[in-house]
This record gives sequence, structure tokens and C-alpha cells, in this order.
Amino acid sequence: MNILTNGNFLAILGASVAALAGIGSAIGVGIAGQAAAGVVAEDPKKFGSTLILQALPGTQGIYGLLIAFIILNKIGLLGGGMAELSAAQGGFFFAASLPIGVVGIISAIHQGKVAASGIMLVGKRPEEIAKAMVYAAMVETYAVLALLISFLMINGITI
Amino acid sequence: MAIVKMNKISIIGLNKEKSLLIKDIMDLGVVEISSQDSKITDPEWINFVKRDGNETEVLNYDAKISKINEVLASLEKYDNSKKPLFSTRRTITSVEFEQRILSSAKTEENVTQILELIKSLNEVSTEENKTETAIMSLKPWAMYDVPLDIGDTRYTSIFTGVVPNIIDIEKLTNDLEQKTDRCYFRKISSDKDQHYISIICLSSEKDDVYEILKQYGFNNVTFKDLEGTAAENIVKYDQKLKELSQKKEIIEKNITGAVPYKEEIQLLYDHLVIERDKNKILGNMLKTDTTFYIEGWIPENSKEKVEQALNAYQCWYEINQPEEGEQYPIALSNNSFVQPFESITELYSLPSSSNIDPTLFMAPFYCIFFGLMLADVGYGLIMSILCFSVLKKFKLEGTIQKMLKLFFYCGISTAFWGVMFGSWFGDAIPAAAKLLFNSDFTIKPLWINPMEEPMTLLVFSFVFGVIHLFAGMAVKAYMLIRDGNVLDAVFDIGFWYGFIIGLALMLFGNAIIPGSGQIGKWMTIIFAVGLILTQGRSKTGIVSKLISGVLSLYNITSYLSDILSYSRLLALGLATGVVSSVVSILGSMGGRNIFGILLFVIAMLIGHSFNFAINALGAFVHAARLQYVEFFGKFYEGGGEQFNPLIKKTKYNKIIKEEI
Repeated sequence: MNILTNGNFLAILGASVAALAGIGSAIGVGIAGQAAAGVVAEDPKKFGSTLILQALPGTQGIYGLLIAFIILNKIGLLGGGMAELSAAQGGFFFAASLPIGVVGIISAIHQGKVAASGIMLVGKRPEEIAKAMVYAAMVETYAVLALLISFLMINGITI
Repeated sequence: MAIVKMNKISIIGLNKEKSLLIKDIMDLGVVEISSQDSKITDPEWINFVKRDGNETEVLNYDAKISKINEVLASLEKYDNSKKPLFSTRRTITSVEFEQRILSSAKTEENVTQILELIKSLNEVSTEENKTETAIMSLKPWAMYDVPLDIGDTRYTSIFTGVVPNIIDIEKLTNDLEQKTDRCYFRKISSDKDQHYISIICLSSEKDDVYEILKQYGFNNVTFKDLEGTAAENIVKYDQKLKELSQKKEIIEKNITGAVPYKEEIQLLYDHLVIERDKNKILGNMLKTDTTFYIEGWIPENSKEKVEQALNAYQCWYEINQPEEGEQYPIALSNNSFVQPFESITELYSLPSSSNIDPTLFMAPFYCIFFGLMLADVGYGLIMSILCFSVLKKFKLEGTIQKMLKLFFYCGISTAFWGVMFGSWFGDAIPAAAKLLFNSDFTIKPLWINPMEEPMTLLVFSFVFGVIHLFAGMAVKAYMLIRDGNVLDAVFDIGFWYGFIIGLALMLFGNAIIPGSGQIGKWMTIIFAVGLILTQGRSKTGIVSKLISGVLSLYNITSYLSDILSYSRLLALGLATGVVSSVVSILGSMGGRNIFGILLFVIAMLIGHSFNFAINALGAFVHAARLQYVEFFGKFYEGGGEQFNPLIKKTKYNKIIKEEI
């Protein structure tokens, strides 16, 4: 049996791709964390506000997890009895996972960079944390949109 | 609106009454004394007045304050009593405050003593570090039994030193042996970086031996001012360390003993801050030989209070309305529901005095959007109850109080939407029922379950978005009409209203009310024509008017992207729900036995704490973003200066006037 025409395999592959958004979050949170450590070295009291900014690029990983989970739930992998999917159905799941998988990675990395700059901003002007958060949230918009599209697509697939 | 109206005040008084008058103004706490830098350079003024001010005094106070700060910080460290979660100011009457300050000489003595203690503590710590380093550097030589003060004898020379760990010791000894057989080599010890070696050779062959050693990267180690063997010295140093730590303990005990003075020292701190501020504000004033001049702002509603206070002095004063278009400092005043949301406005930027306070319009939307994005009864209640009990227990002030109130309201909204969407800690309760009793009990949402009907909620998210944007545009229209630009309001806001509603009806209207699509089509066309005709009105020439009119229709993309941005209301709401159900599923994996139930409880605790933290942060940030980018973008300009009256900026004591 050719594995690429196995619907169930394709669906699980889709869930994996969605979960890959975590790569971006890992990198993004990492970048922000380095900047945060630098700022906290100067002023340990800023731990709280820098931590908030560091957490922001983490959401893409959660969005990826979310989509992966919905796929797994929908094909019944978590309940035990996995549905028999046609190649086309499996392909649909795979396709639907792409937006969050791809956009998640890239947006999280860039959000991490913006968050790192935001942390520098907080280092100099602690009262401006709201602005730093909004700058980072601007980047996240596109991950939110991708999450939404992935979700709506998966929601529309009938099995 | 909710920007407090300010009046301009100028006072001319006699120098002999100056300090009393400043004290009274400070007690009132409603007068901002603005800087008079422009008058100093104004030729009309410069001949008569000089800048007042007493910078040396201010510096003196600052030095004292920073010393006391240091004392308080170390007292804080040695204070073993339980510290409250939030530090609040003690309430104290002004009479009591003045009285206790009278005896501050004793407190100042205490401060000096504690400073001495801190200084000697630092010295002991430095000494301790030094000794520890010395021990560290002697440790490798512990096995070297030649007294360290013996260097060269009459016929021999001694080398002590290190070579890098990577070199081959055997090769080194071979080389040495080849050169001379009257040489004693000994490896004392090694660590991960280097070997510690000593060589005894004839003085006459010293240079040859050194030549070889140099090839192996030998570095001389000398022991300055040490007598006896390394091992003896280590013992000596250990003894010294013990003594030092005893000394340290005594000093620390003394500092701990001074902890009861903390309250008095804090009182002194506040007193010094008040005095410093009184002296600092002089820099904003002008003076002649016998008089002084103050200019500043007071809120209009405190006018009488200020007049009353000033009438007690032999001074001239004048309180005026600000001139047309003159910018004045901003203080916001709102009712108790809206007030906490001022902090969201402040985080963006205060309005300028010609603008409008957006807090009133923003507050309900912020609250609703926050709730929609977190949307869980459990999370909402926890948030509200936590904030409420903290607010009850501690007398908090300022930003932190506003923030807690804000989260209290947002928690209620979160719980409300949780009921609407049927989310009580996600699906924890049905999951628990299933695990324990195998029942198919579910909690019905009051409205819809977003997981099952995401499209419905998506449409409603957009509807909320349109309402939000229209509200922003309405505020803009109000401002335009207020300033007398009625036509601008009709063309720029009214026509867009019509155009957007028309478009929406044309595209989606038939699905709701059959036939409304036709109306929508005509509305779209009429208002599009209207926009084309009016949007280029500032341009000259009929052609460029029309071109910019047509181009303005392109703005629909910005409205579209604004509206689409509200899809985050659905997406973040879903994120909370889905992570909750992941937690439930993980927790239920153990099955119905004691370990399964234990696993369920642990998974719930950890999973929901995580979910709550990350999604509450998301809701806070994204609700703010929707206000700042989409809503404020429609009408708001920041750039106001905060009203900064001369008040007692005390840190530890809240000084009130009357007896309690």
C-alpha cells in the first residue's frame, strides 16, 4: 500500500505539520528570552514585565497544538476508534493544516524579534510596556488569521 | 467631557510668606506649578525677575534620601516579620506626622548607626571573599611541604608555577633530565586546566632550566608575604574565615535589632521627600528681591478652595480660563465603573486638551472583548474574586488599584461569556462526571457553543467589530460637530456609514431579510457616488477633486482589514476552549481508579493554571490592541501632558488632614 495515498496517514501528517508551529514559538521565545535576561541583568525588578513580553511569541505553538488536536479529535485518533479516511479526505486535513503550520513558524520568529525589541524598550522606559505589547500583538494578527482559516477548513471537512 | 477643565493661575506674593504659602498649596494638592523657563529668556521679564530655586538644598536632600533608602532596603532584608503581598501606605494625621518629625534627630542618629553597620558588613564580606580566593589559590599547593617563604638558597633555586594541563609531563621531565641531572622535579597536583609543579635546581643552571620550562608554557607562581607551608596557611585562613563569619553574624544581629526603628525611618524618609519637593518646586518659580511669582494650573472645580487658601496671605492672584486653543495639563475624571479603564488610556497616551477622553466609550468594549476572548465561568470568577478580595483587604492606591478593578470587571464579563458559551473550566465538569460516574452530563451553553458553530460566532465577531468601529466614527463625528464642522461629519462619517452598511446588506442582507440586498445595492451606489463627490473637496480643480474622490473609495480596504481584525475574538476564544478540552482529555486518560482520579486532579490544576495565564495575557493584549489600533485609529490623538500638581509624594505614610 502506498503510504501517500493513505488518508489516515495524510491526516496525521497534517496534525504534525500544524504542531510544527511550535518551532517558531521556540525560536521566538528564545530570542525574546535572551533580550529579557540582558535587561534583567541591569534591573532585576523588570522580571515580571519582560516575562510577559517573552511569553507573547509562545501562542503560535499553542495555536498549532490546537489545530493538531482538533484534527486528531476529528479523525477519532484520541477516542481510540480511528475513522477510515479516503486519500482525498486525508489530503484535505493536510492542506488545512498548512496555514497555521507555515504562518505560525514565521510569525512567531518575527514576533520574537519584535518582543525582544520591546523588552529593550521596557529596559529604558518601563512605563511603555503597553506599547511594546501592542507592537508584538500586531505580528500575531497573522497567526490568528491563519489559525482561523485552518480551523474553518477543518471544521468544514466531512468524514 | 471627562477631561477635567483647567484654569490658569498666577500668584505674586511676598518672599517672607513664600514657604508657608507653598506648604499650604502642597496641602491642597491641586495646583500644578509650571516651569517658567520661557519668561527667563523673555526680555520684558528678564530685567525684573530671576529664577528662584535652591539646587544645593535639593541635592542635599537627595543625598540624605538615597542614604535612607539604602538603610531601609537592608532593614527590609533583615526584617523577619511576615510581609504583606502588597505594600500599602499607613494612614497618619498631619498633626501626628508633624509631631513625630520633631523627634527625628534621634532617628537620624539611628540611620547613621545603621549605615555604619552596613558599611562594616560590606567590609567583612569583602574580606571574606578575599580570604576565600586566597584559600582557593593555595589549595592546589597543599601537598607542597616546602615553606613558601623559601625562595633561593645559596646554591639552589626553586621554581614554583603552573603549566597547561594539555602538555606531556613525562616529556618535560625527560627534557629536563637531558639538560641536567642535578634537578629535582615534582608535580604537586593537577586540575582540569593546569599542572602545579615545583622544580629545585642549581642556581648556576637556573636559566637553562627556565628556558626549557618556558617552552612548555610555564608560568611562575609567587607567594607574596606568606610564611610557612601552604597547608599551614590554609589552616590559618580557615580560622580567619570563621572569625569573619562570627563578626558578620554579630553585625547582622545588630542590624536586625534596628528593625523596630523602621517605621520612624520611613517617616523621616517621607518628611525628607516632602521637603525636597518643596525646594525643588522653587526652580519653577520666579523672584525679585522681595516678591515671588508663581504660574500654573488648577482644576476649575477647586477654584474656590484655592482662593480661600490664598486669601489668608498678602498676595495678589488671578485665576483665568485658558485661552482659545491653549493646551493645558490633563487630568481625567470618570465614574467608578469607567475609572479603572483610564489605565488603558494612560498606557496609550493621554488625550490632548482639544481632544476627548476616550475612556468612557472604550470601557464597555474593552470589558466585552476581554470576556469574549477568555470566555470561561471558572476563570472569570477566580479573577473577579481574587481581585475583589485583594481590593477589600489592602488599601491600594494608584495604578495597581485601577488594574485590579479593571480585572474585576473583566472577570465578570469573562464569566458572563462563559455562561453564554457553556464553558465552566472548559468541559471539566462533564469530563469529571464521565470519569467518575460514566454519565453523559453536559452543560448547555446559553447561546451557542463556539466549537460547534464557529461560523456563527465569526459573523458575530465581525458584527461586534462593526459596532465598535462605528462607535469610534461616531465619536469623531461628535468632535467634528462640536468644532462646527457639520458638513465634514456628514461627508466623512455619515457617507461611510451608509456605504459600509449598504455593502454589508448587498453581500449578506438577503440571507437575513429577503429583498434587503436590493436596498443595499442602491445604498452602496448612492453613498459611493457621494464619497466620490465629496472626498476630494479640499483639492482644487474639478479633475483632482474627482480623482481623489475615486481614490478615497480605496479606503474600504482599510475598513475591511479593521473588521477582519475582529476575527481574533473568535480565534482567541477558541484557543481557551480547545486547550481546556485538551486538559480534560489528558486528565481522563488514567481511567476510573484512584490513580486516574489523582491524575485528573493534577492535570486540571496544572493545565488550567497554564491555560488561564497564557490566555488571560492574550485577552489583555488583544483587547488593548483592538482599542489602540482599530478604535483609537478612528478618532483619537494622544499627546496630552499629565496634570502634575504639587502634592506630598510620600511612599510609606498617607498623610490626611483631619483626625480619625
